Amino acid sequence: MNSAIFSRSRLALWGGCLALAFALPLVLKSGFIISLLCQIGIMAVFSLSYNMLLGQTGLLSFGHAVYYGLGAFATMHLLNAIGKGGGPLTTALLPFVGGLAGLAAGIVLGYVTTRKAGTTFAMITLGIGEMVAACSLMFPGIFGGEGGVSGNRVVGKETLLGFTWGPQVEMYGLIVLWAFACTIAMFALTQTPLGRMANAVRDNPERAEFVGYDTERVRFLMVILSGFFAGVAGGLSALNYEIVTAETLNAHTSGVVLLIAFVGGIGFFYGPIIGAILVTVMQIVIGGMTHAWLLYFGLFFLFMVLVAPGGIASLIVVQRALWQAGLLGRMLPHYAATALPVLILLAGLVGLIELGYALLTGDAGVGAGDTATKVLGMQLQLGTPGPWLTALAVTGIGIVLTRWIGGRLRSEWNATLATLHGDKA
Amino acid sequence: MEFVVISLLNGITYGLLLFMLSSGLTLIFSMMGILNFAHASFYMLGAYFAYQISTLVGFWPGLLVAPLLVGAVGALVERYGLRRAHRFGHVAELLFTFGLAFVVEEVVHLIWGKVAVDYKIPDELDGTLFTLFDTAFPMYRGFMMLVSVGMLVALYALLTRTRIGLIIQAALTKPDMVEALGHNVPRIFMLVFGGGTALAGLAGVIGGNAFITEPGMAAAVGSIVFVIVVVGGLGSLGGAFIASLLIGCIQTFSVGLSISITDVFALIGVELLEGSQVARLTITQLAPVLPYLLMVAILIFRPRGLMGAREN
Amino acid sequence: MNVPAIRLQGLKKNFGASEIIRGVDLDIHRGERHAIIGPNGAGKSTLFHLISARLPITSGTIELKGEDVVGLKPFEINRKGLSRSFQITNIFHNLSVFENLRCAVLWSLGYRYSFWRRLAGLKDARLRAEAVMEDIGLTKRRDTPAGILSYAEQRALEIGITIASGADVILLDEPTAGMSNTETEEAVALIRRVTEGKTLVMVEHDMGVVFGLADRISVLVYGQIIATDAPAAIRCNAAVQEAYLGTSLHSGNDHE
Repeated sequence: MNSAIFSRSRLALWGGCLALAFALPLVLKSGFIISLLCQIGIMAVFSLSYNMLLGQTGLLSFGHAVYYGLGAFATMHLLNAIGKGGGPLTTALLPFVGGLAGLAAGIVLGYVTTRKAGTTFAMITLGIGEMVAACSLMFPGIFGGEGGVSGNRVVGKETLLGFTWGPQVEMYGLIVLWAFACTIAMFALTQTPLGRMANAVRDNPERAEFVGYDTERVRFLMVILSGFFAGVAGGLSALNYEIVTAETLNAHTSGVVLLIAFVGGIGFFYGPIIGAILVTVMQIVIGGMTHAWLLYFGLFFLFMVLVAPGGIASLIVVQRALWQAGLLGRMLPHYAATALPVLILLAGLVGLIELGYALLTGDAGVGAGDTATKVLGMQLQLGTPGPWLTALAVTGIGIVLTRWIGGRLRSEWNATLATLHGDKA
Repeated sequence: MEFVVISLLNGITYGLLLFMLSSGLTLIFSMMGILNFAHASFYMLGAYFAYQISTLVGFWPGLLVAPLLVGAVGALVERYGLRRAHRFGHVAELLFTFGLAFVVEEVVHLIWGKVAVDYKIPDELDGTLFTLFDTAFPMYRGFMMLVSVGMLVALYALLTRTRIGLIIQAALTKPDMVEALGHNVPRIFMLVFGGGTALAGLAGVIGGNAFITEPGMAAAVGSIVFVIVVVGGLGSLGGAFIASLLIGCIQTFSVGLSISITDVFALIGVELLEGSQVARLTITQLAPVLPYLLMVAILIFRPRGLMGAREN
Repeated sequence: MNVPAIRLQGLKKNFGASEIIRGVDLDIHRGERHAIIGPNGAGKSTLFHLISARLPITSGTIELKGEDVVGLKPFEINRKGLSRSFQITNIFHNLSVFENLRCAVLWSLGYRYSFWRRLAGLKDARLRAEAVMEDIGLTKRRDTPAGILSYAEQRALEIGITIASGADVILLDEPTAGMSNTETEEAVALIRRVTEGKTLVMVEHDMGVVFGLADRISVLVYGQIIATDAPAAIRCNAAVQEAYLGTSLHSGNDHE
């Protein structure tokens, strides 16, 4: 069976990824990188579960964090309840309980949300998400109020094959195992009757009804199953961070998972994984450099919506198609030529934003307003027009050059694509 | 009694403000098929613009200029953003407005900081309109009501009495037909989007100082406006109106009621177990959740909304 | 044979104040090929929408194989063995031809909402989908996304999806609309082949197709059936000649 899940090439790919995931901490021993990898693993599961809705069933949800958050709280409470009675094995299995909590939430909330599809579904999920978030503040006994609920993932004195999950690198191993299990399960789901009918419902709900399927039921089941995997991700986050706050289930978290899945590419199974890696790394790296990180991220997202709505994965797929057709070489010089003006434009924009940020808020606190700031070691006087004019000029030059060279890139791109499709036909 | 009357007046004021938002959202949705996720962001922009103008030249110029500025921003967003996203379908449009809401919030953080700004009610309107029993009804609430009602009358007249209004009404149901008749539908779209966002901006101008002007205001109001649109029925102006007033009143009343769930159940003769967390909650504490509970109830018992005609 | 495949009695449909279907009584026999013709706006497609529950009826009854089906959802009617095609192509655009057909057979093979079975392991689903694909002549296009097929290929796929489930009552809404003469001939042969032994109801404008395929013809004019009879009798029917258009019936003769 060539299309089996465990075909030889696919097994090799999965195996290679698993080996790489386990090898990474052996090479990169820094604690910072291992925490980063843990975060990526959790977000990958969470955003894959999100894409079961958006990419596979065509359901745009603004409240997916509810399942993630409830899974996290359930895991944390159980961890604390078991306390000394447990051991590393029970701890390792706890994310499954998180999954069950997400699944239960999916049954209750999905019953309401999946009565509608399309835009209405999006609005309802937003409302339901807000409702759960508001409820979480109402019951501090369960959700821990402002401080959240914390716990300790190391319980008892025993070990499991020498593991206690205490050190971050052991936790990383646990996350990798769970992430792989979930990824394989979610991929397998795309290859089942329900998974395929979810695609059918996404493409054409009316036709799906006329081949005998209740579209509401298909959506409902997909929400429940996706709630399970989101809950597992939440459970992993509870163990990883050893604290769960109400923020894990609010609109911000729901928004972030949407951004991750979209930027990665919702049309491809592995798209959200790319998104999770990219966004998490960007968040840590750029977020560490500037306070305006969220603004950059938002602008990047808008740029992706307008220019590459298929996400990073679609860009990769197109390049691979070009490469296989022997056309990539034709495009490479144009990519290189466009990179320079885009970099100039970016430098100008970043300069403007950073200057504005420094002037208006400053390091001294909100509204304080600095008169001087340091950029790349240069001492800049914000009160003088010099830095501003420079940034403005760089931006202007960037815009002109980008338009000029970008136009040539576009015509070459269209010509190359035409050749590509011509070859296929 | 006095609680009821004052709460009712406050509820209607708030409801009318909500309708200024939900009507714009409904017009844009009906016409362009776009659910403007960033609608409440324009409300926030209105408040911040008005605040900035009021610190420079005072409240009254801002009342006029801020909504126009917001409308201009809206028209630009439609022209250079949404129209482009439109090629990729409705999900791309919705995601674009979602990203926009994200960016607007960050820009507001950037320019005005993360805490509330001191956007004041103008001195001329800072006083008591009348006193009922022992409770004063502020003059500014009366002014809000006046502006909202004036705006509604103007909107109604525009939609029913003018040529452009008739075209917009026609385009609400049959955009292809209107285009076939030779009207420039893209320009009408830009106008409607600009108009709808200007309306949201005006709501921000008069709501920002009555309530609070802070970066979280968009998210707080935004989800309520969505609830209104779902409860009223997607695409129905009449439904949006009723739902706005309903939710305005629910929120105002529930904030003022300090009786607990146990008391409520006691009224109908049911004794709740003492001590559980749910039983001790008061209506006031429940206030933030009530609109959503209403939405869930509507979805279960009347899925197309109060006045909604079409399914999806 | 006693119980008709479809029985309509006093069927009415109003859109607001306007009556589109104004009291239709019609029996479709089991195993017959029945064509519904009539001028534009007579309500032919609406009639299909009522039978297949795409639109709710205003009054009257619809019986499918002797069973009252009024008020059922489209998918429930489909499960009772009635399948339909659409005038405007209604397929799963992002799925391949093979996947389109496989989706169409899953329910009838009893796989329901299963998320524990591998599609690739469902031999019966694959064989049935491949058989239909062969029938409609799209085997070469097996892995092509349905959205980029040619118009005629999409129409063929539309018919394929409709018949794939093995339903014994088939409704085809203008299966040859917009096709060239050659394409139409192929489509007629296809329809004849794939509806063998089934009950077929079709709405069609091409009189060549109608008189070539149908065992009986019903003429729908302004929401009412003015005649139901064998093709030869319909051709001679004075009321039909008068109410419908003699010309288009004659032009149908030329085709034959």
